Amino acid sequence: VPVRRIVLLIPAALLVLGIPVALGSNAADPGLTPTSIHIGGTTPLTGSAQAFQSVAKGAEAYFKYVNARGGVNKRKINYEYLDDEYTPSKTVSQTRILVEDKDVFAIFNSLGTEQNEAIRPYLNTKHVPQIFAATGATSFGRDYRQYPWTIAYQPTYIAEGAMYGNYIRRTMPQAKIAILYQDDSYGADLIKGLERGLGPRKGNIVSKVGYSATDDNVQSQIARLRSSKASILMLFSTPKFTIQAYQYVNGLGWKPKIFVNAVSSASNVMILSSSRGQNKRVEGSISIVFLKDPNDPKWNRDKGVLLYRKIMKRYQPKGNAKDVYNMYGMSAAFTFVDALKHAGKNPTRQSLMNAVLRLSERNNPFLLPGMSIRTSATDHYPLDQARLERWQNGRWISFGGLLKARS
Amino acid sequence: VTAIALAAGIVAIFFAPHWDKIGDIKGAQMGVYFIAILGLNIVTGYTGQISLGHGAFMAIGGYTTAILVTEHGVRDLWTIPIAALVAGVAGFLFGVPALRLSGLYLALVTFGLAIAMPAILAWDKLESLTNGGQEIQLFGSENLLGKGFENVTVLGHSLSFNRAVYYLTWGIGLVLLVVAWLLLRGAEGRAFRAVRDSEIAAASSGVNVAAHKTLAFAISASYAGIAGSLLVIAVAFADPQSFPAKLSLTLLVGAVVAGLGSLWGVLAGAAFVEFLPDAALHISKAQGVPDAVYGAALILVVLVLPSGVAGGLRRAVTPLTTRLYTRS
Repeated sequence: VPVRRIVLLIPAALLVLGIPVALGSNAADPGLTPTSIHIGGTTPLTGSAQAFQSVAKGAEAYFKYVNARGGVNKRKINYEYLDDEYTPSKTVSQTRILVEDKDVFAIFNSLGTEQNEAIRPYLNTKHVPQIFAATGATSFGRDYRQYPWTIAYQPTYIAEGAMYGNYIRRTMPQAKIAILYQDDSYGADLIKGLERGLGPRKGNIVSKVGYSATDDNVQSQIARLRSSKASILMLFSTPKFTIQAYQYVNGLGWKPKIFVNAVSSASNVMILSSSRGQNKRVEGSISIVFLKDPNDPKWNRDKGVLLYRKIMKRYQPKGNAKDVYNMYGMSAAFTFVDALKHAGKNPTRQSLMNAVLRLSERNNPFLLPGMSIRTSATDHYPLDQARLERWQNGRWISFGGLLKARS
Repeated sequence: VTAIALAAGIVAIFFAPHWDKIGDIKGAQMGVYFIAILGLNIVTGYTGQISLGHGAFMAIGGYTTAILVTEHGVRDLWTIPIAALVAGVAGFLFGVPALRLSGLYLALVTFGLAIAMPAILAWDKLESLTNGGQEIQLFGSENLLGKGFENVTVLGHSLSFNRAVYYLTWGIGLVLLVVAWLLLRGAEGRAFRAVRDSEIAAASSGVNVAAHKTLAFAISASYAGIAGSLLVIAVAFADPQSFPAKLSLTLLVGAVVAGLGSLWGVLAGAAFVEFLPDAALHISKAQGVPDAVYGAALILVVLVLPSGVAGGLRRAVTPLTTRLYTRS
């Protein structure tokens, strides 16, 4: 009967017509083609914080290495990082350029606490993933209900501070503590963690002196801290100020036990701090570590460090392979590639975010042995383990086992 | 001639963002520099007082907008004149003690202001006002153009937020250019220049040197305040680190490249400080190289064009025009 046939044809026709509509509404997110995925981020390429730029360059080298091996699901990763001069207002404008003019799929590995805070509401409103923000501010792991498109990478500053606090409470419960800190949420988080770790001993903190990231030097801060007569000095400061602090401590003839935060404890920075071994105040400093240190001879035969050196040589030949920040960038890039592989053949921003929140990574060659990266819908802290380490004879020696670095 | 130049300027401003290489965001940033350098030129170029602290007045203007929008529910556009007023008053107050200083000493004192400003903004005692060292987020605020991301409808046209900010910045920039031009071509402008060229001669000709110096400082600071306000609106965000001492240096670089004592050169000065860093990065991204390229380019410009782009143009054009006159 023709009528019935027509009736049968209608859904068939709708189906045919409907497919392109459905495909249309399912159009790929920006930055994605069958052969490439375009991601972006910001980093200080110029200005006083430019030492951090290797965080982007190490990641870039790893992506080039992956691309040379065919990319991820046949897509080459095009990672475009722009200079923000470590100035948050520039971070905002460069990120807007990346998202709105250059149509990136996701923001990856942008550096700095204030810088990432500045762009977080914007990216979450636009539903652009803000993946592995290079900051340890606790808010980036804690406030995921408010900012579901944001996740950081490294152990939080609160967790780091708590590791130092625990250690001091156990080994030097009577020692008086002085703190140099950067006067922003990064410094505040480290202090909060230290107090948490000290617990009942937090009264041992006798002096806290802050500096602003835009300051020139910390000479007067160190002089004030010295006058507190503390026997422990916490350096919760970025590399430039940390190097200065070691010089001033030495110049004033002060001999405290020094704890230096991981932001500034890369061995290449420590070598500068110690004036290549001249400054004895650097000896015995304590920090935390979660990456393999390419300058530590004990890793000379390690597969991860050998791979790191090979990638640096081939894909970042002008870079300095001794610069540990490259290792950090490479580790973050490794985890990003891991997530992208699990985001499906044709990833969307949502599927990538889902994959980032379902990580179970045990094979990251750039992290310390035994470390794993786990995330879930309620666990937005990818790296939450670390070891304590002590600076001896020009290199870091880790001690104690892997500790939980959670806040 | 001025009218034609102005019309050409308006057309150029209208079309520039359609050109991919610039874009709305960079274009608006250049507009912010344009306004601040224009203001700096009034006090440094025309009145001869070197200021290395105009970034601080931008911070005052920017924070005025940030605080009014977030704490007091004032519409962003209305905060711009208030920012101009607050920064202008600050400039006037700063101009009074600065009367006793000149040349290098004034430059040093203003630079001190630029260095101190981020610390002042992060000062505990001002925490209730400035949120201490923490950020102020304007993003999503109802008082901000399109809440900082939505399209904005202007005269029936739907514009993206970035495009709207671009037109706002350059619209204000153009008005401020005309204001500066009107101010400087008249008696006030002559008085400013007299103060610059010789304070003694100016005083003996009946110019109130002190009044004109402080006036120039106040006007100039209010320009910087407007620039800071627009910067905060454009990024919907304010924090002390966004107004580093380096910003003040950048503005002076822009004014020198523009040619001190020239208004039209300011466009070139603003373009220089906005786009040269990109060009330097284009040459090499190796650590340390972009900063060196920037420095080298600056030295080159000052060597080749000691009186800035405007001075260079004048030198190139003057022989032609004088020949025209002598022939006729």
